[in-house]
Amino acid sequence: MVTSASAPPAAVPLEIQGLQIRYGERVAVDDLSLSVLPGEIYGLLGSNGAGKTSTIKSVVGLVRPYRGSLRIVGLDPDHDELAAKAAVGYVPETALLYDSLTPREFLEYVSSVRRLSEEVATQRVEAYARALQIESEFEEPLATLSNGTRQKVILIAAFVHHPTLLVLDEPFNNLDPRSTRIMKELLRDYVSRAPRGVLFSTHTMEIAEQLCHRVGILDAGQLKGEGTLDALRVTSNEGGATLEQIFLRLTREEDAVREALQELGGA
Amino acid sequence: MASWREAWRLSGAAYTELSFQTIYALRQGNLPPTTPSWDLVPRARRRVRQSKAVLSILLAMIAVGAEVLLRFGGSTVLGQGLNPILFQGGVLTGTIVLVMTFLWWTALQLVPVLIGSSPLALLETLPIPARTRDRVAFLVLFRLVDAPVVTTVILFPLAVAFGLGSGWAGVAMIPGIAAGILVALALALRTGRFFARRVQGTGGGRGRTLARWSFLALWTVPAFAMFVVITFALPFFNYLDNLVLTGQTAFLTFLVAIFPFPLALLPALTAAGIPAAHQVGFDPSVVVGMAAVYALALGLLGVWLVRATRRSLIGLPASRPAPRRDDTHIRPRSVSFAILRKDLRVASRTPTFAFLILLPVLNATAVGLYTMLSNPPGADAFNLATATVASAALLATFFGPAFFAIEVIGYSYSRSLPLTQRSVIAGKLGLILLVYLVSSGIVFGLTLIKVFQPGVFFLFIAAELPAVVAAALLELGILYWVAQRRGLPIVNLYAGAWWGAIVTVPGVVFAGAPLLAFYLSRTGAPALALPGMAVLALAELTACSALFFTLPGKRPM
Repeated sequence: MVTSASAPPAAVPLEIQGLQIRYGERVAVDDLSLSVLPGEIYGLLGSNGAGKTSTIKSVVGLVRPYRGSLRIVGLDPDHDELAAKAAVGYVPETALLYDSLTPREFLEYVSSVRRLSEEVATQRVEAYARALQIESEFEEPLATLSNGTRQKVILIAAFVHHPTLLVLDEPFNNLDPRSTRIMKELLRDYVSRAPRGVLFSTHTMEIAEQLCHRVGILDAGQLKGEGTLDALRVTSNEGGATLEQIFLRLTREEDAVREALQELGGA
Repeated sequence: MASWREAWRLSGAAYTELSFQTIYALRQGNLPPTTPSWDLVPRARRRVRQSKAVLSILLAMIAVGAEVLLRFGGSTVLGQGLNPILFQGGVLTGTIVLVMTFLWWTALQLVPVLIGSSPLALLETLPIPARTRDRVAFLVLFRLVDAPVVTTVILFPLAVAFGLGSGWAGVAMIPGIAAGILVALALALRTGRFFARRVQGTGGGRGRTLARWSFLALWTVPAFAMFVVITFALPFFNYLDNLVLTGQTAFLTFLVAIFPFPLALLPALTAAGIPAAHQVGFDPSVVVGMAAVYALALGLLGVWLVRATRRSLIGLPASRPAPRRDDTHIRPRSVSFAILRKDLRVASRTPTFAFLILLPVLNATAVGLYTMLSNPPGADAFNLATATVASAALLATFFGPAFFAIEVIGYSYSRSLPLTQRSVIAGKLGLILLVYLVSSGIVFGLTLIKVFQPGVFFLFIAAELPAVVAAALLELGILYWVAQRRGLPIVNLYAGAWWGAIVTVPGVVFAGAPLLAFYLSRTGAPALALPGMAVLALAELTACSALFFTLPGKRPM
């Protein structure tokens, strides 16, 4: 966390209290509380259907919580939805964009809605596009681009206004190793330069282990464990364990994995 | 035969996927509707069946119209000496062309979706013989218009049989109708592929955008073909009559040998008998011979369709140039203008949206050119021009809310952006106004060459302008109001025809009221016609602006 002694305390990028999300009768997330602090990368881990994407969608305003409260940079999205959205950059799990626009046209639209100046938008977009090596595809419709390139475009759109909170749903999906490395360094640098936070979900334990200051482990919509890797090792009584081992222990899936492997061996 | 049965069964899954994507557009980022998940697929099937039922009813009405014309048209519509065989052949030629363009237009709306959503791609990876996959692809194409095609095949021969009083004449109509259907499917396939390649798959840059808009003008050809058939039927009969009267046998024979005339003359010749045909003024053996040639060519076309459909539909046939360093300069604009610019860019690669913009514009161009070239007297030209401006206003407001459908694409992402209702409405309003002003400007420019009354004409366009703005604000306001009352995402709401009517009818009434006032008062009090129209339009705008400004400025999309 980078703040000087004389600076006013930075607003907490994200605070979630007692969140419950329902789809009809089905409870997708139940009594979830977590916070993303300034200067922090917070990883949300969980199996398929654990509630990661639902949590993320509620943060960016795509799903209305059934119960509980959210605060984005201290703002209540129920009352200050636009200001809250202005403070967030979002990468969805599946890049369903305006397929008939080119990356440049799409980023012009996003930059306009984000009210960026021509100079700032161009400078930032050029820098990201060069780093991710997609300049040569800037004039082709998104529909004709590879999934990886589309993912890079949506990452640029999330970064372009330098939001206080970045919300990334499986952001490394489809990225090549070079771009994955760049994005990891970029995220570390991004939170170290200003009091910003990153909430991101992933299935990939190695990435979470390398990148996150803290992780939260979701299982069946509930938070089963939260903290730094060291703290989780203590919680789960697994000294020297990898995040994957801790994850399987906390979600009680170790036995299930073993049984599945035995069945597959029999097959 | 077993292979066709298997193909039919397999085509069901691909067709269901196509229906699902057409109705919900989930792959384009639309949100799933709030319908229970078990009802999603049945609901999509129901919606598609309803659309096909409407199309079938329209075709049935054309069939009834043809029957009435064949039975009574010769004496009552023309009332002159055109030979009945030529008249009946002309009616049936028009009917075949109408059916053909109608089916072409209908299938063309769906072929790019079929190519884009790739429901057939999965079959390519399964161990299914290529011949069966060819047939599956053809059957999926056929299923786009199956109910209308079945309606056509049953009703049109019946209509001809009743209209001409001969069962054999009805049978003789079958090759003509089959020709119309096959040509329509082939045209839909090739033009759909063309649009997927040259319109949906091309990139940014002014040159390419301009080329896309010119190609998109072609999209309206089938719609205009229907318009042309209906509009020019009577002059065409008069022209035929003139050829007979002046004894231009060779030219008449050449004319009736052009597709689909010979196939349309077959029922008439069957009903009247060959001896009667000799008195018409052309050689019936030429007609029968050409009909046989066309029938053979259509058989080959059918075989080609079955073989070529899969190749045309599989994969994304976008034309991509070699990679190059492109323009990364970003030009942000105000939010409302950015929405308008985004809509135009999306429409330039989405023919169904482009059609909504181009129809009023092309209509204005056609009428403007007609006025310029046909040399009508001054007052007539003015009437025609004002009527065209009126139709541009009505079309723009009628199609206006449909521009919201553009928001379906990428909707889940858009909702994460800090967009307000006001800026979205202002963006859509800009598009509606653009359509109205461009259409009116074209008529204005072309008509001025013939009728130099710029002041009056300009005032007419300006007087209607506030009504267009008012109508658009009213429609978009209702759209948001209903969406909030029902707690539904606005883009899902507009998917229903019923809601579409609730939104558009008041808008069209608002846009039409000042025009009606103008036309009603023009005869009684001509001096007051334009000022009255302007006052009414301004009153409407005042009322609707009040409605717009009651929307909280910071309410999110």
